[in-house]
Amino acid sequence: MKLQVTQENLNKALSSVARIANTRGTLPILANVVLRTVGTRLTIAATNLDIAITHYIGSKVSEEGSITVPARLMQDFVNSLPSGVIELKLDDYKLHITTDQYNSVINGVSAEEFPVMPAISEGKTWNIPAKVFKKGLQQVLVAASNDEARPVLTGLYIHTSGDKLYIASTDSYRLAEKEIMPLKEDISLLVPASSMQELLRVVGDQETDIEIIHDDQQVLFKVGEVELMTRLIDGTYPDYKKLIPTEFAVTATLKRADFVNITKVSSLFAKESAGSVTIHVNPDTKSVSIRSVASQLGENTAQAEAEVTAEGSITLNSRYLLDALGTLNSDTVMLCFNGKLEPCVLKEAKATDYIHVIMPLKS
Amino acid sequence: MKDSLWQAVLGEIELTVSRASFITWFKNTELLTNKDGVLVVGVPTVFVKNQLERKFNELIVDTLKKNGIEPTKVEYKIHTKGKSTLHKRPREETVMVVAPQQQTEAKPKSSSSVRHSYRQGLNEKYTFENFIVGSGNELAYAACQAIASAPGTRYNPLFLYGGVGIGKTHLIQAVGNAILAKDPKAHVVYISSEQFVQEFLDAIRYKKNTDFAGFYRSADVLIVDDMQFIAGKEKTQEEFFHTFNALHQANKQIIISSDKPPKDIPTLEERLRSRFNWGMSIDMQIPDFETRCAIIQTKATTHGITLDPGVVEYLANHVQTNIRELEGALNQLLAFCEMRGLQPDIQITTSLLGSSKVRPKHINAKQIIEKTAKHYAVSVEDIMGPKRDKDIVVPRQIAMFMLRSELHLSFPKIARELGRKDHTTAIHSVEKIAKESALDADMRTAISEIKDRLYA
Repeated sequence: MKLQVTQENLNKALSSVARIANTRGTLPILANVVLRTVGTRLTIAATNLDIAITHYIGSKVSEEGSITVPARLMQDFVNSLPSGVIELKLDDYKLHITTDQYNSVINGVSAEEFPVMPAISEGKTWNIPAKVFKKGLQQVLVAASNDEARPVLTGLYIHTSGDKLYIASTDSYRLAEKEIMPLKEDISLLVPASSMQELLRVVGDQETDIEIIHDDQQVLFKVGEVELMTRLIDGTYPDYKKLIPTEFAVTATLKRADFVNITKVSSLFAKESAGSVTIHVNPDTKSVSIRSVASQLGENTAQAEAEVTAEGSITLNSRYLLDALGTLNSDTVMLCFNGKLEPCVLKEAKATDYIHVIMPLKS
Repeated sequence: MKDSLWQAVLGEIELTVSRASFITWFKNTELLTNKDGVLVVGVPTVFVKNQLERKFNELIVDTLKKNGIEPTKVEYKIHTKGKSTLHKRPREETVMVVAPQQQTEAKPKSSSSVRHSYRQGLNEKYTFENFIVGSGNELAYAACQAIASAPGTRYNPLFLYGGVGIGKTHLIQAVGNAILAKDPKAHVVYISSEQFVQEFLDAIRYKKNTDFAGFYRSADVLIVDDMQFIAGKEKTQEEFFHTFNALHQANKQIIISSDKPPKDIPTLEERLRSRFNWGMSIDMQIPDFETRCAIIQTKATTHGITLDPGVVEYLANHVQTNIRELEGALNQLLAFCEMRGLQPDIQITTSLLGSSKVRPKHINAKQIIEKTAKHYAVSVEDIMGPKRDKDIVVPRQIAMFMLRSELHLSFPKIARELGRKDHTTAIHSVEKIAKESALDADMRTAISEIKDRLYA
């Protein structure tokens, strides 16, 4: 193997790929990245056996070949090189990296030792604008569970219903659903939330389309030069739609910034009670007030102006409330609920494509 | 058949590939079907499927051939067996729940390659029917029966403790078996604390997305044997603490056995200790002579042999402290007789097991005082002397008690043996120890240990 690449390209590829190479696993070789020439391009790939990322970069290949090298060392080294052309040359499992000023050799391991990267031979293909998908992911990821005891809830449910594409997630205490775009396909994918965190990083600020290819077991996301393959979670996602209330006894509309502020202040007094704060909506004073009590420290009531339809109160976990407010993008937001023990909904005042449901705490 | 074949194949492969490779690629695989030379192997993920297809296919085929199978084709299929059994829990249906006020923060994540069925570890031979009830264990027996009839409602947690070989394991397994007999779908988990530690270590080590915590927290009945081995393992104790809380809050039954009461297990975390004392702690006692006789007779009957009362009595006297040893002695006797076609009688028994440990008559007051002093690591002079420190008074009183119980000396004589003039001290001491030993397990242990020293 012998080729020339620019430091910028190589560094960018390594930084997106090397993250998932991990040194803690059972198989030592998974701490390496694979470098392999494909035609005139160089691919850099790594996997943790849940997810695999392959990054293609343009290069001047004069001799084909492949090798694996320790991911951390390679990344740190290339990152500290000055920008410009780097020459990579393989000599009997030793990777020589040469620039004008530096000349180093990294001992590699044959690419034959590396696990076979999965590929999809037959599958459904569709496209989605990267920006739209990224925004959707950012809004729902927060509600996914990380409790491995219930694997289904650690996934994001990407699916179509009535010619529309949705992403949903829930950890059984809260639920988020985003309507992405109209799509005439029949799709039902349960993708690990952790893989989607990785995808967000890979997408970055790109404005291209993401190509999605999937079969029963795995799904491939192609974003520009990068391919991210992840396994799908096996299982049936709960029928969450029936949990989203559509009619509300109480609705309060207020400025998001105000709501965030009073929640933050109240949460300081709610640490003892696992974040529990009580929201009171009052039509007479046209306000939303949040009250929290810490038996040792004291108590707090914070109030904000709001448009209110009826009187009511509900007790929520302030952390979930802050998480939810963080996913809303508009200046004014709506808080809607019915009884004390029925699900409570947060949404943007004007948009209808995103909904966040939080289950109340027993007060 | 399929299982044993695949186990044999895996066993051989384990020797040829590195340990890391074996764990990553071959663990959790299984043989699904074997039909007309086409073998279908179930694998957990697509990565494993690829790897086995492209890199290990030849090795697998060769190993199959060595085991006498000529496969025309080996196929790999993604198959999640562990999951389908573990996660088909009814709770998946209740998607959203109203959280309790003190909602726990994200649970500590732990995982391992825990993939066993719920009834693993339970031995069906342990039942209530073949448990012999005597004075030392009737309370434990009654509590266990109450639990088996309505798990989780009474005596939760149940903590049984007592020395080795007195039937703790038998009883707690009997509870598990009884519950399963009533409801075969119940999730009864029986595990030794040492196994729990081991699985927890694996969970930490492999960071696998499997179900250590989930598995234990979804149990209906959790039975942990030999809890004392968890001592000193802080992280495991913490994990067990969370499991304990999760189960206890959900009104699931927890049964624990140990060789010591919770307060005597060294380096057991305070919060666990207090929780173990929460439900019911029962001290299981060494079975008395009559119970031992009953046990021998029952065991002999299951072997189809009726024993002479003399032989039974001899055996019951021969082994006094441990039912396991008692069974051992009986088995030894029965095997000996069966091989030679003899009927067990007292001569054979005596010659086989050595002379009976009938209490030697030559024990005297001096020996009792010496052994008691030795047990408490004080000097004979101190016991005989005038000192009235607490750590000397107790051994002195015990010595008086033993002089009375073992040698049946008169009170004035006891007083004289210990260099006292007043026999009322002796009366007081004997009465006090008799009363205390009825209430205090430590005192009983001390007395029986001193007896052991005396008659050893």
